[in-house]
Order: sequence, then C-alpha cells, then structure tokens
Amino acid sequence: MTPVARMVMLNLRTVAPYRCQCLAVFAVVVLLFVNRPVALVPTLVLLFTATMAAYPFNVGDKARLETLYATLPLARRSVLFGHYGWALACYLCTVIAGTALALLLARLQSVPLGGRTLAAVLTLSWGTFAVNVAVQFPLFTRYGYTRVSVLSTVLPLAFLAMLVVRLHLSLASARSWLPWTWPVGAAMIVASAAVAMTLDRRRVHPRL
Amino acid sequence: MRVVLSNGAGAPLYQQIKDQVGAAILSGDLAEGSALPSVRALARDLRISIITTTRAYAELAAEGFIATVPGKGAYVLPLDSALVREQLLRKVEDGLQTALDAARQAGLRRDDLIQMLDGLIAAAHLEEVRS
Amino acid sequence: MSNLAFALRGVNAAVSGTFALREVSFELPSGYVMGLIGANGAGKTTAIRCLLGMRAIDGGEIELLGHPVPGPVALRQEVGVVLDHTYLVGDWRLAQVERALRPFYERWDGDRYRGLLDEFGLDLRAKVKDLSRGMAIKLTIAVALSHHARLLVFDEPTSGLDPVARDELVGIIGDFLLDAGHSVLFSTHITTDLDRVGDYLTLIHDGRIVRTGTKDDILDAYRIVRAGPDDLNDLVGVELIGVRRTSTVTQALVCTDEAGLLGADVLIEPPSLEEIAVHIGAPAGRRKETV
Repeated sequence: MTPVARMVMLNLRTVAPYRCQCLAVFAVVVLLFVNRPVALVPTLVLLFTATMAAYPFNVGDKARLETLYATLPLARRSVLFGHYGWALACYLCTVIAGTALALLLARLQSVPLGGRTLAAVLTLSWGTFAVNVAVQFPLFTRYGYTRVSVLSTVLPLAFLAMLVVRLHLSLASARSWLPWTWPVGAAMIVASAAVAMTLDRRRVHPRL
Repeated sequence: MRVVLSNGAGAPLYQQIKDQVGAAILSGDLAEGSALPSVRALARDLRISIITTTRAYAELAAEGFIATVPGKGAYVLPLDSALVREQLLRKVEDGLQTALDAARQAGLRRDDLIQMLDGLIAAAHLEEVRS
Repeated sequence: MSNLAFALRGVNAAVSGTFALREVSFELPSGYVMGLIGANGAGKTTAIRCLLGMRAIDGGEIELLGHPVPGPVALRQEVGVVLDHTYLVGDWRLAQVERALRPFYERWDGDRYRGLLDEFGLDLRAKVKDLSRGMAIKLTIAVALSHHARLLVFDEPTSGLDPVARDELVGIIGDFLLDAGHSVLFSTHITTDLDRVGDYLTLIHDGRIVRTGTKDDILDAYRIVRAGPDDLNDLVGVELIGVRRTSTVTQALVCTDEAGLLGADVLIEPPSLEEIAVHIGAPAGRRKETV
C-alpha cells in the first residue's frame, strides 16, 4: 500500500466510529428526495459527500490528530494527498450508491432517467464536489476545521449560487459547456492540492 | 543477591551497593563464580540510575571482587585473589588504627589492648565452635 | 554512525519574533535516560519539537539516532512520543488503535501490543476517551514498544499523575532501558521523578542550557548556601543564583568552585536536584546577584 493509500485508510478508521451518524445523513437525504430521483445524486454529493470528506478534519481538530500525523512515519505530503484521496473515495462511493438508488427510484416511480439526464446529473455532481473540496481543503489545512467550518461551507455554496444566477442555469442550456466541468473540476482539485501544500508550510504549528 | 539501599544513610548510593556486595562476597553469601545481575537489571530493580550501578560495579571490579563481561554481566571472582587480600589487609589496618586512636583517647596501654584482642579472638572462636 | 541517542548543537529557534531556544546544545549517549528540567516556558517543549523534526530550527544542527534532522520519515519508526495529551481518536477502542496505526509500521508486534495492554491493565474494548491520564500514557507507551521504538521521548508525562502512576512509569522506563540500545528523554518540572533514576540531566532556563551532564556531575557542580538575613552581601567573584531573602534566612545556589569564597559564617552543603531547579528557575528579578 502506498503512503497515500494508508492515509486514506487512516481517514476511514478515523471516521468509522461515527458511521451511524453519517449513514443517517445519507438516509435523510434519500428520504427527502425519494420523489425526485433526478436531483438525488447532486444533493447527496452536496450534503453527504461534503460532510464525509470534511469529517477527518473535524475529528482531527478535536482529537489533535495533527500530532499523530507528525509522529507516524508519514510524510506531510502523504497526509495532505490522503485527505484529497479520502474525499475522492467518498465521492465515488456516494455516486455509485446514489446513482443505483436514483435509478431504482426512477424506475419504481416511472420517472424518466435516461442516459443524457444521468450524464448531466453526474457532471453537475462532479462540479459541486470539485468546488467544495477545492475551496474547503486549503482552508482546513491552514486554519483547522473548527475555525473555518462555517465559512468553508458557505463559500462553495455561494460560489455555486453565483454561477447559477450568472448563467441562468437550466439543464438544457447548460448542455453545451457541461462537459467542461470534468477537466475544470479536476484542475481545480489539483490546484487546490498545490495551494494546500504551500499553505501547509506556513501553517501555525499544531499545539503539540 | 541482596542489596538494600537506605535513602537516609550518609553514604552515596554507589558506595552502599559496593559495600553490601563486597560484604556478601567476603562473607561467602555470594559464592565464587556466581553471576551478578547486569548493571541495567540492578538499576531497574533498585530504581536508581544506571550510571550509579555501573560505577559500583566498576569499583568492585577494580578492587578485584568481580569481573565484568561486556554485554553479559558480571560474576564473582575467587576471594583469594591478590587484590581482595590487599583490600582485606587494608580493612584490618584501618580497623586497628581506629582502635588505636580510641585507645589513646581512653588512655589504654599496649598490654590492655593485647588483652582485649585475645579476649575477642577467644570469644569468636567459641562462637565458631557453637555454630 | 555515532552512539548518541541524539544531539543538539547550537540550536536556535524563534517563535513569533522572540527566540525560544538560544544556542542550545546537549546530547545523550545511547542506553541512558536524560531528564530535561526547567520551569514552564523554559523551552523544554520547543526543544523536543525541534529534536523530533516537528518544527524547523533557525540555526545549529540536530542529530537523532545517528541521522541529521530533518531526516527520513522512516526515522519515526524508531521513536515513540508521549505527550501530556493523547493524540488518538477518542472513540477508538484500543483494538481499533492497533488496526489504525499498524499499517504504518514495518515492525509491528501485535502480540506484544496485546500483552502490554494486559500487563498495564488496559482493556482492548475500552475507548481512548475513557482512559485516565495514567492509562493514556501507558497506551502510548504500549504503542511505542509495539513498533520497537528505540527512543522514547516524554514531554511532561507526570504532570497530573498520582504518585502510584508515576512510580509505575519509572518501572516501565527501567524495563525499557534493560536494552542498551534504548534511550529515553524525559522532560519535566518535577525533579523527584529523576532524583534517583536520571542518568543525565539538562537544565534549561529561558531558552538557554544552564548545564548538562551526568546527574552526579550536576549535583556536584553546585552548593546550596544559607546564611543570616543580612549576610551574603558585597561578595566579590561569587554569583548567587536565585537568592531568596527572608527575615530569618538568606538562601542561594552557588557554583561549587566559588563556594570557597563565601567566608565562614555560612552553611554550605550539597543541594538536592529540587533546590537546583528551583534556584536556577527563579524569576528574573531574583535570579542573580553578583558583585
């Protein structure tokens, strides 16, 4: 296992004691969107994935896990990339489970959920995820979860809302540029990781 | 091996160890060739510094009581080695000197002293016969 | 490859503009326990952070287990760090602690971990957050021993521990040092921890090393002097450290080689480690009087 993979596993184990709460969030979103399967996956990514991805920072702040990372034979780079890796893993799991559920619900309710709609929905999800992670993670790295948790939740939402307003989004009109979301989102995440690395060097050292 | 340290006694800890181990060797409680705990094991048992036990063993080795084998520990040397004999002779001399000083203060003469010495030897002999 | 557990040479470290460590130099030969003694804020924790590569230094050099610091991340395989707080997820059970940490260590001995928890009286099903301070320290030690750490670094481990727990800790350290390849750094402001078992001591005050060496050397280097309330004035060539004057007695620490200059009317005797620490750590106003 590579160091980054080990860090992802460590994040999984960090969050594991709270799996019931996390699954509850998942269940609530599903219940709320039971009748709107088309919007299920993006909402899950917005609410559930964002929470899950940030969880290690949340727990880490309270448990002072930064000290643990500093004592483990684990390079700083691996810690940061491991956080991003964890976020990606959360995204993938959410999308897989969410899409399966959405398809099932759509079929049960005879709601059309064809290939094109699904692609658009998945693309939107990726965009949401990318914006979330790209904005939040450098902030978490530099300031810790507790100090910026509210701000970092609001910022991405504001960014997205601004985009929506600006572009008067509706699925039909967006279809032309929607595919760009994938590479742009990926680039945002990569850039975010680089920024996080830089900020990390200037970080106020954890209270060891 | 029995080492009982006193916090209150004036003698430094390494000295106490030296004295007790030396006395045990001289009295035969620690037989020739028997293994002593390593300096680290002794330090652990007595809850004192390793440097203290190392010093005690080093001085015991210098005086011919024990031999240390690096990495293995220490063992008791035969009592009749020349160094130990020299130690014992020095002890006798010191003891006699102390007795002499006290005798001078008490105003005893040579004959009184010799009488006391004979008496002590006789008493010791009786003790040996009884046990 | 040197046989030093670690060495700091001329280390300077600045914290927000002021120097937390100034020309700090001390080292420990492998196989012994060093006590790092100083008042709160003297620089002990900063020195430890620098030693472990957890913070950068602004000058000097550091060597840890034969490697320069900052060194390879793999160096942490051999170091166990015990701090005054736990740094594990509170809701982990002790069995989960092993599952979480094990993948990072090349030589993790699971049997040893479980055996140590048993020996320390810790339940595998207990949660980290439910451990008392003494138990939490034992857990961290169990983790360190399970990955075959060669160097244990304790930062104020005994603050908040009752005497029984402190005594247990001394026993654990003694067992750890049975192996001459193991070393311990123990920072504390409680001198009684190291009174008997300390091999080497480093006294730190205000970010500077006051003295470092074997415990016997340090105890020999000072004398405690006591005299009347109006005595110990106008002394030439003698530095009185941490003078304390009351209406009945004046007490200070002096270097042994200056003690002879004190005159006949004073009581001079070897100090306890506590007295050395108290006088050296005395606040600036009281710290020194010289002529």
